[in-house]
Amino acid sequence: MKQFRTMTYPYVLWIAAMIVLPMLLIVLYAFTESGNDVLTFRFTLENFARFVTDRVFLAVLWRSLYIALVTTVICILLGYPIAYVIAQMGERANTIMILLITMPTWVNMLVRTYAWMGILQDEGVLNSFLGLFGLGPVPMIHTSFAVILGMVYNFIPFMILQIHTSLNKMDKNLLNAAADLGADRIQTFLRVTLPLSLPGVVSGITLVFLPAVSSFFIPKLLGGGQYVLVGNVIESQFLTSGDWNFGSAISMIMAIIIMVSMYFTRKIDVSVASAGKE
Amino acid sequence: MAEEAKKLIQFKNIIKTFEDGTVVLKGISLDIYENEFVTLLGPSGCGKTTLLRILGGFLQPTEGKVLFDGEDIVNVPPYKREINTVFQKYALFPHMNVYDNVAFGLTIKKEPKDVIEQKVMRMLRLVNLEDYARRNVTEMSGGQQQRIAIARALVNEPSVLLLDEPLGALDLKLRKEMQHELKSIQQEVGITFIFVTHDQEEALTMSDKIVVMNAGEIQQIGTPTEIYRRPVNEFVANFIGETNIIDGVMPEDDCVIFEDKKFPCSARGFDKNEKVDVVIRPEHLDIVPRDQGMLKGVVKSQLFKGMHYDTIVETRAGTSITVRMQVSEDKPVTNNGEKISASGFFLDLEDATELNDAKIIALASAEAWDAETEEPISIKTVEHDIKPETGDYSVTFSTGAGTSITVQAKVVTANKAESTVYQEEIYAMNFFKKVEDIQESMALDTDLKMWANASAWSLEDENEKVEITDVKYDFDPETITPGVYEVTFATEGYEYKVSTTRAAEEGAEVGLIFRPEDLHVMKRGVRQ
Repeated sequence: MKQFRTMTYPYVLWIAAMIVLPMLLIVLYAFTESGNDVLTFRFTLENFARFVTDRVFLAVLWRSLYIALVTTVICILLGYPIAYVIAQMGERANTIMILLITMPTWVNMLVRTYAWMGILQDEGVLNSFLGLFGLGPVPMIHTSFAVILGMVYNFIPFMILQIHTSLNKMDKNLLNAAADLGADRIQTFLRVTLPLSLPGVVSGITLVFLPAVSSFFIPKLLGGGQYVLVGNVIESQFLTSGDWNFGSAISMIMAIIIMVSMYFTRKIDVSVASAGKE
Repeated sequence: MAEEAKKLIQFKNIIKTFEDGTVVLKGISLDIYENEFVTLLGPSGCGKTTLLRILGGFLQPTEGKVLFDGEDIVNVPPYKREINTVFQKYALFPHMNVYDNVAFGLTIKKEPKDVIEQKVMRMLRLVNLEDYARRNVTEMSGGQQQRIAIARALVNEPSVLLLDEPLGALDLKLRKEMQHELKSIQQEVGITFIFVTHDQEEALTMSDKIVVMNAGEIQQIGTPTEIYRRPVNEFVANFIGETNIIDGVMPEDDCVIFEDKKFPCSARGFDKNEKVDVVIRPEHLDIVPRDQGMLKGVVKSQLFKGMHYDTIVETRAGTSITVRMQVSEDKPVTNNGEKISASGFFLDLEDATELNDAKIIALASAEAWDAETEEPISIKTVEHDIKPETGDYSVTFSTGAGTSITVQAKVVTANKAESTVYQEEIYAMNFFKKVEDIQESMALDTDLKMWANASAWSLEDENEKVEITDVKYDFDPETITPGVYEVTFATEGYEYKVSTTRAAEEGAEVGLIFRPEDLHVMKRGVRQ
């Protein structure tokens, strides 16, 4: 094996250049003052102070976490039953259903979000349909409903796939064993299936919550700019205001929040996996 | 015991057909009594696990009834049955510790906490795991997991415990330990155990009653001793332990003829002169000096097994036939830069009528080639005067350029030998061979069989081939010189497996003895 070690060097180089370096740059920017010279290293904590003291930004942060949380909860509530039903199906139906679930992700997320714009607009498909019955137009686009709908729609496949995998690899004999020991179907589900599929739910949460909390084009397109989330703030700091230092600071705050939340989810995961170990 | 005890479970003509049309159970009827240790024994695919799953409620029979305490339970879901199962790979809940696994059934029944604790700890004590209650089950060894699974099932105080090959995943030593442990647990808790296995030794060690199954049917039901000593057919005899099965005839009650000798035995209820199978277990045979033996034979092999020797004694050679092999040196004829070679051959009288050139070339392995380039040259003409009568004839092969070789062909009557003892016939042909063919042969026995066209078949059905197991010759293939050699082909004879503490030389002439009560006579079944 040793003689192949040199073959990893290009990848090490790649990781250094493409991942480590940009992250270091973000940290550097976050802790320095803005200025026209790229290389004036004047350290400051002001970027962070500005974010924490500004009620508007804190409201945006709070809103982002809230939306992401709601999205994740809806994804679990909708995704679990779907994954469960699919896992009960025969092998062939199983494959087809999983294919159908993953198929939308083959189309670019941006395109699909534009499609939702067309559906939700005041003169869009849905409102035209309601108009046939003399209803509406119901304002749907540019509401928190539209943003959450867009997020759930885009991220739910990840939740379903994770839960489905953990349900599918579960030893079916465990269900027989539970039935054998007197548990009816509901008891079997609550005491065996559900706890054993929680690791899938946890990794599903990771895959939904993370992109949801930092997403910026879904709130931009479906929220119509009135519904600003943290991702949009970061985007505008970099692209519109050109304040890279402040943008980097917000990114770092988000990264820390995400890391902390991941740490707790992992903890839940571990304690679920070894529940009962005292 | 069985007569007084209560019938707890009755299978009534259970038929199970799977979706793909395979019939796994072909009408099983079986009674199981209270407090019995019953083993369902059979090779994999015999339907034993299917039967167990039907009883556990995980499969529905296609036809038939399962009575539990007199009530049909076919439509009762598993969780309502007073039956618990120890699954093949234990199926312990990986997210629970040992205690919670065992407590599972009681928690479902919502028993009070202190009662659960008492019962669980008692069970863990029974399986010697009381110190492991808080351990994670995934950290336990195979044998420990096994015992947790048993405790988890038994804590619910079922009236029947099903065990689906529970010892299969354990190593030999642990398996032996668990056999004793399972038996003592069963005696202690005093409930019915239904144990599924393909291991005859497990079955013999633990069971009160063994149900031998094959191909979806019950072959025999009986105590271990009955099954071992008095198997009803060849399948059971072969499946349960090593055995010798010999063809015999019953001239009258309590008397059986085999190997042309009359022996006393205790067997009744056969027709006069009915053909039967006679069973003698290897440990019931012993080796004695030849003149004291009830049967006489030659030691073919002996393997040392520690406690005893596994010896094979042949009392009678199989059907055999001897042919002559004429070995010649390859001397190709050279002419005009061409070489041609051919060897003499034998021809069966019945084959001499339908001859053509290609066939003769093949028989004589005639070939011609360019002396320099070794390119093959075709043989243009074959001249012969072979008539469908026995005798010697000459055959001449020549190429277009006139290079020719003449060899001898012998037309002979077919060389067959017949044995009425074994009801079989063997055939082989004399043949010519070149020295180098014999020297270069990688598997001489197989090649000799092919060259001599040797085959054997049953006299009752010509399509039923009999294997030629023995090829004998007295030359050294490495150093063989041209000349005539005899080759003998033989089918398997009467061989007896003997399990004895007496050492014997290979090739020694010995006698075999047995006690009449160790002979078991059974109806001749369909041969496997």
